[in-house]
Amino acid sequence: MANVAIPLMKKIEPDKGQRLWPWQKWFVYGSLTPIMALLLFFSILPVLWVFVLCFYNYSPTRAGSGFLDMGGANPFIGLGNFKAMFADLQTSAIFRKSFVNTIMFAILVLPINLAITLPLAVLVESSQARLKGFFRAIYFMPVITSAVAVAIMWGYIFHPQQGLLNLMIKTIGLTPPRAWLTDPRAVYFGIPLAMIAVIISYIWQDFGYNLVIFIAALQGIPNEFRDAAKVDGANAWQEFWQITLPLLRPTMLFVCVMTTLSSLQVFVPFQVMTNGGPAFQTEVLVKNIYDNAFRYKQMGWAAAISIVLFLLVLIFTVIQFRLLRSDSGLEY
Amino acid sequence: MKKRLIYVVIIMAVVLSACAKTTTTQAPVVPTKAAEPTSPPPAEKVTIKVWSHSNPAFQKANDLLIAKFMAQNPNIEIKFETFEYDLYLQNLETSMVAGTEADVLELFGTWICPQYAKGGRLLEVPEDVMTYAQAKEIFFQAPLDGYYCDGKLYGLPHEFNLENGGALVNTALFEKAGIPFPPKWATFDELLADAQKMTEVTDGAMAVAGWDPITGDGLTFTLLAGILEQGGNYFASDGRHFNFDTPEAKKMIQTMVDWAQKYKVVDPIVFTDESNSVSTSFFTGNMAIGFIGSWAAGEGIISYPDFKFDYVEIPTYFGGERRFAADSGWGKVVSAHTKHPLEAWKFVKFVTAELDSAVIYNTNSGTIPALKALVENPEKVLAVEPWIKPTFDLLPHGQYIGNLTDRDKLFYEIVYPNVLQAMQGVITAEEAAQKINTDTNAMVDAAQ
Repeated sequence: MANVAIPLMKKIEPDKGQRLWPWQKWFVYGSLTPIMALLLFFSILPVLWVFVLCFYNYSPTRAGSGFLDMGGANPFIGLGNFKAMFADLQTSAIFRKSFVNTIMFAILVLPINLAITLPLAVLVESSQARLKGFFRAIYFMPVITSAVAVAIMWGYIFHPQQGLLNLMIKTIGLTPPRAWLTDPRAVYFGIPLAMIAVIISYIWQDFGYNLVIFIAALQGIPNEFRDAAKVDGANAWQEFWQITLPLLRPTMLFVCVMTTLSSLQVFVPFQVMTNGGPAFQTEVLVKNIYDNAFRYKQMGWAAAISIVLFLLVLIFTVIQFRLLRSDSGLEY
Repeated sequence: MKKRLIYVVIIMAVVLSACAKTTTTQAPVVPTKAAEPTSPPPAEKVTIKVWSHSNPAFQKANDLLIAKFMAQNPNIEIKFETFEYDLYLQNLETSMVAGTEADVLELFGTWICPQYAKGGRLLEVPEDVMTYAQAKEIFFQAPLDGYYCDGKLYGLPHEFNLENGGALVNTALFEKAGIPFPPKWATFDELLADAQKMTEVTDGAMAVAGWDPITGDGLTFTLLAGILEQGGNYFASDGRHFNFDTPEAKKMIQTMVDWAQKYKVVDPIVFTDESNSVSTSFFTGNMAIGFIGSWAAGEGIISYPDFKFDYVEIPTYFGGERRFAADSGWGKVVSAHTKHPLEAWKFVKFVTAELDSAVIYNTNSGTIPALKALVENPEKVLAVEPWIKPTFDLLPHGQYIGNLTDRDKLFYEIVYPNVLQAMQGVITAEEAAQKINTDTNAMVDAAQ
């Protein structure tokens, strides 16, 4: 048996990969080429194109003089778009506001999301086996629901006259806000009420995704660690804090990065529920990019904002990787 | 390694060449020059492509006109393609760069000069099709002038886009408040007095707005009309920059602030374009008088057939002569990339300038005619859309809104939020006027 196995194992050694038969090579190239072409033309080239456009005052409604209408009526302006971000213009002011709002949204969403999903995941995981699947399904349902439908639904819930939320607040004898989504003077702790309303709707839809990931991670922690802690006299809180949480660190990193990435790029609830209002208090970068590119047809300006968003996402991701990188050596 | 790379390049080249569209070399087109009718009428069948947005009413109007045109012109085949509104605009942007847009495009008149014509994307109307002088004879000035830039005509209008001078009225609320219907308002104060009677506040929150002009279009058109009614002008002397820091602009904004703060006929926090917009709130019974174009009445009849309402003329804001600025509405233009300009212009003229075609277009799309003849002999149109009758007396008083540099930015990013904030009491009317003045001029400077 061993005599047969050894030559076979030699054949699939990684460093001998070049010994593939020609038909195998063609199969590999043939399989990979379409997906590579797809990636190239619909992801990589558009991204590269944004890096080119951001240096032009480019509008697709103007016929330029050069390649793809670059030049002439769509002139190269160097860093002009980036300098304009600091100018005393309405467009620049809206960009700066959207920049701040985007960061505010991402910073608020992450801790709230974690504060809900992690304890809830522990609770679901500790519930009866038969109920686990039920809870997972219930909490995951909003994730697979259309974002537009969810935004419209929450728009109705927050409606100042017929909204369910105001009705409930009135029922318990309290006075609801005059308008959740449209009052520019309603600001609590520096956060506009409209932004709070959008955060509520966004987290409602999004938390199920992180919940399922945390549940999976919790199930992956071997019981031996917990049993050992119990033997050492740890109570439930100590077990969670000293054992579970450190072992969830890689999952936490993934959840933090993904949640931050997605919340920096949120568009639908802002577009549908508030349209950036009131007084641009919920204008965010992606909506600003969309408006400038497709509503006002200022593609060069929109591309420059896209670069800023790209850098913002990059910086947030790097910071999170640095902060949550596991140096403790805790593995299981 | 090099060999592998070559294989990958070859495969990709094969795949891409299979996917690529076969292209032929195109003769260069000088976009701003008129297409000269150099070729004789086609012996072979020519196919021209027409693009529009997919609003069902507009689609039906175009379908009927295309069928009629093809029956009369068997040598010309029309391929009509529609897109969902936002997608249509995105398609235009990308296809114009690639030169793959349709021969004939349905575009909104106010976009033509500052964007597409200035950008060299459109053909000028050939003189043997129609001169500007001829067009002025048959079309209203306001819709036509959207297609007329720097002494050149770039297309022909279908509709007079009117957002001024009329309002939706909820007949049940008039009855409930004991107000005679139809209303005979001689002055705007009389309208406000009736609006106050119909305004309802429940538990401290406004449940029914008596008079609501708060939409992105509504506030801007009201401001412009108010300025013009007082004899003012919102353009600076160079015709490109703006002048909103004027007594007329401040007075009009203060008038709008008073509607909310003094007369309390609308709550500008609860009734905004984002939440409780006129087009939706009116038909849910939360509004007595809603300031909006007559197109909303057409949509309301289809979407809310059991809702009792009417569309009536409203008085001028300051009691003087009626004057207002109007957008140039939807019309047809010809792409600079077309290979069949003769046939394309023949189609455009047929669908816009011929009386029977205009009847088909306006009655099916629910729009106000751009052709003067249809308003002078309105029986055919009014038989289908009687609610637009109050608008007919208004049309001669309208002037084209002008080259706004970026119409949507001015309306939705500058005027609307500033006037709304003034109505909400966040800034004063004077501050709003100054802010609008600064931001609109900065927009013009940035575009230059």
